[in-house]
Amino acid sequence: MSDQITYPDVVNFAVPFFIAAILIELTWIVLKRRGGRYETRDALTSLIMGAGNVASGIALGFIAWGFFLVLWELTPLDLGTSAWVVLLCFVLDDLRYYWVHRFGHRIRWVWASHVNHHSSQHYNLTTALRQTWTGTFTFMMVVRAPLILLGFHPAMVLFCGGLNLIYQFWIHTEAIGKTPRWFEAVMNTPSHHRVHHGRNARYLDANYAGVFIVWDKLFGTFVPEQEHEKPDYGLVHNLGTFNPLRVAFHEWLSIFRDVTRPGLSLRDRLGYAFAPPGWSHDGSRGMTPEIKACHLARHPEDRDTPGFE
Amino acid sequence: MPLSILLPMVVIGVAGIAVLLHVMGLSQPRRFADADEARAAWDREFPEIPANAATLCHDGSAALIATDEGPGVVWPMGADSTARRIDHARIERTTDGLILRLPDFTAPRIRLRLDGDETTEWLDRLEQSA
Repeated sequence: MSDQITYPDVVNFAVPFFIAAILIELTWIVLKRRGGRYETRDALTSLIMGAGNVASGIALGFIAWGFFLVLWELTPLDLGTSAWVVLLCFVLDDLRYYWVHRFGHRIRWVWASHVNHHSSQHYNLTTALRQTWTGTFTFMMVVRAPLILLGFHPAMVLFCGGLNLIYQFWIHTEAIGKTPRWFEAVMNTPSHHRVHHGRNARYLDANYAGVFIVWDKLFGTFVPEQEHEKPDYGLVHNLGTFNPLRVAFHEWLSIFRDVTRPGLSLRDRLGYAFAPPGWSHDGSRGMTPEIKACHLARHPEDRDTPGFE
Repeated sequence: MPLSILLPMVVIGVAGIAVLLHVMGLSQPRRFADADEARAAWDREFPEIPANAATLCHDGSAALIATDEGPGVVWPMGADSTARRIDHARIERTTDGLILRLPDFTAPRIRLRLDGDETTEWLDRLEQSA
């Protein structure tokens, strides 16, 4: 077994690039007076969330790493480190990302971590850095277990995951409209990912892809950006605070409050923790299907159009 | 990357971008142009609870919304806006308006800058529905 493999910590090395790209996007927006919006407190919150994400990775990364090393000890398989293996690992890790991301929107426990990434009402390159501080506690590292058991070295898997995140940075922009048709067909793009960040009923729970949009097309979650309906960014119920601590932990606290409400059955308590966001034991809240149904009741003309099919 | 390089780079980068945005005038909070704009901001957050009326404060920084399910408030979140129904709020009168304290971790304190007459009117309407 090749235990001593190391790869560069690509996300940390990309930090100067992130800063430079933000400055370029900001300059573009100011000079051209189009292509997005910036606001100081929103951007500052996003950047602090990004810095906190790096800090939480340094502080808690050993948990996932230890888990992966245990799996690596267990597996008899070792695919080696050839370029083809790295490429295959990257593609399969992107499939892993698709499902983790989908779980992040469909399981409240995982949403509690991911929600902060969607909490900005802006969509610019700082939004890309508005990342979770609590990802470790979702235990979504288990979704990487098959890759390691198949013989991809844990360091390679994390390297590919880092490249995946770096790819996703540039798609958080309104400065780029549509890319060439062949690229839009295969790759995740700013247009596809704007849809993912839309709080419009049409765009809810769509386009979970990291790098390859083909996963959404394959699993039936793809919704194309509509010329006539610009994404409205943010949460279904937008936050009333820029405080990073509240942004990072609000949904966890909300879960705690719901799960500990008096008079609930065990099934109800589990529902509040693991059912899709918006689930409630008495139906007083709305999940995505109800939100879409309410929208169609007000706008029947949207029936059978993308996002409402 | 060594922490001795990463940490200063992150701190300087974050602070530098924040200062740059502020100097460029991108810290101005949103102002609602009229009551219709405030109603639209409410509808954006609560499409299932129609606004019957919106009362905009003198500088457009907030609006009191009347609905069949009780009052609500819309206010700026930076260049954008958000809204909350005013249930179980603790209301405090200040020298320049009202402070609403909500049992809501995501909007614990709403500061409303109102003139004297507005403060009295908004306070009456919020307390009537409490």
